[in-house]
Amino acid sequence: MARGVLIDLQRITKVFPPDTIALDNVSVSFEAGEIHALVGENGAGKSTLMKVLFGLERRNAGDILYRGEKVDFRTPREAIAAGIGMVHQEILLIPEYTVWENIVLGAEPVGPLGRLDVRRARDVVRAKIEEFQFNLDVDALVGDISVAARQKVEILKLLYRNVAVLVLDEPTAVLTPQEIPQLFGELRRLRDKGKTIIFISHRLDEVLALSDRVTVLRRGRVVGTSRTVDLTKEDLARQMVGRDVLFVSQRQPQERGDTVLRVRDLEVRGTDRHGPLHDISVEVHAGEIVGVAGVEGNGQFELVNAIMGLIPVAAGSIEIEAKDVTHADILTRRSLMSFVSQDRGRMGASLTASVLEDAIMTHHTLDPTFTRWHGVGLDYRRARSFTEEIRKRFDVSMRHPADQFQSLSGGNQQKVILGRELLLDTPFVLMDQPTRGLDIGSIEYVHQLILDLRTNGRAVLLISADLEELFMMADRIVTVYRGVMVADLPVEETNVGDVGLLMLGGIRRAHA
Amino acid sequence: MRKQVMSGVAGVFVALVIGAVIMLVQGFNPVQTYGALLQYSLFTVPALAATLARAVPLVLTGLSASIAFASGPVNLGQPGQLIMGAMGATLVGLFVHAPAPLMILLCIVASLTAGALWSGVAAMLRRLFSMDEFIVTLMLNFIADYFALWLITYPLFDPAALSPMTLPVSTAAWLPSIGGLNTSVLVMLMATVFCWLVMSRGRSGYEWRMTGQNALFARIGGCKVDANYVRVMLLTGALAGLAGGLMILGGSHRFVKGLGASYAWDGIMIAVVAGNGISGTFLYGLLFSALQQGALGMELITAVPSEFIDVLQAVIVLIVVAGRVSLNLVLDYLATRRRLREAQ
Repeated sequence: MARGVLIDLQRITKVFPPDTIALDNVSVSFEAGEIHALVGENGAGKSTLMKVLFGLERRNAGDILYRGEKVDFRTPREAIAAGIGMVHQEILLIPEYTVWENIVLGAEPVGPLGRLDVRRARDVVRAKIEEFQFNLDVDALVGDISVAARQKVEILKLLYRNVAVLVLDEPTAVLTPQEIPQLFGELRRLRDKGKTIIFISHRLDEVLALSDRVTVLRRGRVVGTSRTVDLTKEDLARQMVGRDVLFVSQRQPQERGDTVLRVRDLEVRGTDRHGPLHDISVEVHAGEIVGVAGVEGNGQFELVNAIMGLIPVAAGSIEIEAKDVTHADILTRRSLMSFVSQDRGRMGASLTASVLEDAIMTHHTLDPTFTRWHGVGLDYRRARSFTEEIRKRFDVSMRHPADQFQSLSGGNQQKVILGRELLLDTPFVLMDQPTRGLDIGSIEYVHQLILDLRTNGRAVLLISADLEELFMMADRIVTVYRGVMVADLPVEETNVGDVGLLMLGGIRRAHA
Repeated sequence: MRKQVMSGVAGVFVALVIGAVIMLVQGFNPVQTYGALLQYSLFTVPALAATLARAVPLVLTGLSASIAFASGPVNLGQPGQLIMGAMGATLVGLFVHAPAPLMILLCIVASLTAGALWSGVAAMLRRLFSMDEFIVTLMLNFIADYFALWLITYPLFDPAALSPMTLPVSTAAWLPSIGGLNTSVLVMLMATVFCWLVMSRGRSGYEWRMTGQNALFARIGGCKVDANYVRVMLLTGALAGLAGGLMILGGSHRFVKGLGASYAWDGIMIAVVAGNGISGTFLYGLLFSALQQGALGMELITAVPSEFIDVLQAVIVLIVVAGRVSLNLVLDYLATRRRLREAQ
């Protein structure tokens, strides 16, 4: 090996109580000056491994060697002091502070009497920005800059503290397709200046494009470490999932039926809790999947909430099967629509309830076979058999219907929710990022379910932050930007690049 | 469920041991003391009957708090709702004349209604002005307290009495004893079974519990969370009101100053210890009643002051509540060690 081993993780084991083995004898070594990708499905242990290194999680067994010596960081502060920094998925900055204030916060250069030395602070930050060619304005307010720029601030925060190792936890998850190459350019420059970069991801294309070496984790074990040049996407996917994975759409051409969902000129006024919607019109036919593309926070949340009846509609109409539900109560809507939310723990289920209790929600009031004594009692025997049915038909691995919902893995939780919603006898299905946070195997399964819905003549509105997913699933893609619908295109007449531009408001601005 | 029973039994046992240590330190004989406690609460028929009668307000206000807390609304107005329920029963008992069974029924309905109306005020303020029931119900306790005091001091004052109290209610409204057992116990048992059916077998109870855990999810699932909120408030107010009514019909037969004592606060405490479960509330209600009843006899036989029982109750609350959490931690730790050994 030309380069020396910088960090050596030896036989790390981590058990999450009561009996989840998150890491099982994991040994990985990271070399100085490489970009090392850590890939695996959700729950494979990538983030946990890095948290153990970074001092955020305690390990139950194993050793960490850093520069040849045993280390044991108890807090992130110790890890940073030793030269290891981590950028988390959520960006943790103060929006009211400027870029340089955010960067020096916690390690400010001080003059005599402990006063903040503003000029020195700004100069040091500016020097760092120039050194790594980050293209940032030191005096801009963090609240005003883009997500991609905020991520740069997070990285600079660590560079300012002179770390030698940067751990990035799924840095591209918050970026648009156009912003990703820029980040990659910056990361490569950092590597060329001698930094070591550990890059956590489950997006295979990115891993192949960026990294020098790849370590694949599966279910808490190391599958292997390879040089990236020796790998193909299929190899990686097989290592991650443990079997072959198809990357082509299984969608067959199909005649669409009558209009099921008709949203016309929908207006929602913005409040301090959500933004506005303006002039949204979308139709979904039976046997059709319509995708909603957009950078997160451009009106998807408001659209979902307006269709669900959680926020008031100012003007326009929502019809399902020619029934006007614009101002209908939620129960009336639920008799016509199924809903899979992006937030399992908040909207999709009660985490502390039993699997059974979560499984029968909505059925308990719409389906009379779930009740006894003229709707007063709940038939728990029926509820149990229904939960069993979901377990069998949707292949949920769980021990007992009375187990707490949160004892299931993320994928199994989502299967229970999908089972519950799809077994509702509704013409319209609203899916808000149904594969968010799921591993590849589960995503494949959910995609097949959505296509089956289409085959069975249901109308599906699919909101997703993942353009590839939309292009695999949808018949038509509508794009939202700042609460306005900017395009409604059949999937054959567009491509990922165009929609990516639309998501950033590019084409609209070009027309204006 | 099994874990709850385990941590409950273990918690009570540990608390009793701690109580014994406290007594030893103070120079009392714990065996003798606990013996007296049991003898005067459970081991003789009259003692047992007294314990059961004392459990009536504890269990009913406990159920009220349990159902409220499990369903979301933080109804802390049991003391006031109990007072209003007692006053409702008193008013009907004083001014309505009917044959005995009907009279009892009317008084019970009056206490349920009065309690429900009092919690209904809080529910209405919440629905109309988004006022938090947590603070409103607490404040309504004071209003109920002083309103009742005014009623029994002036308009309803018994001229023959030396301290504020009403005249006795019509004897037709007196709950009979059957073989020394106060029949208010039967009403309490029926109410407990009713609550259990609602919460564990009813569709409403399911919706309430789900709303209490995750209101947004329940709402999206089609539960009418606003209507359910009002229903829970009314039901829990009615339960606390019933506790007050039974204290009149099966106890003092008139509204006397200080009637509610601290029963309702004990009920809230019982709900917390029981983790808002119906059967747990019932059992802890009986336990606390036995302790309080036995305390009187304990004072007769031993030199231990009856205040010792307050200490013991507090220790039980702390140990059981803390024990629930720490038992999970211990079980988790053991499971982790087992898994690690398997993995190595």
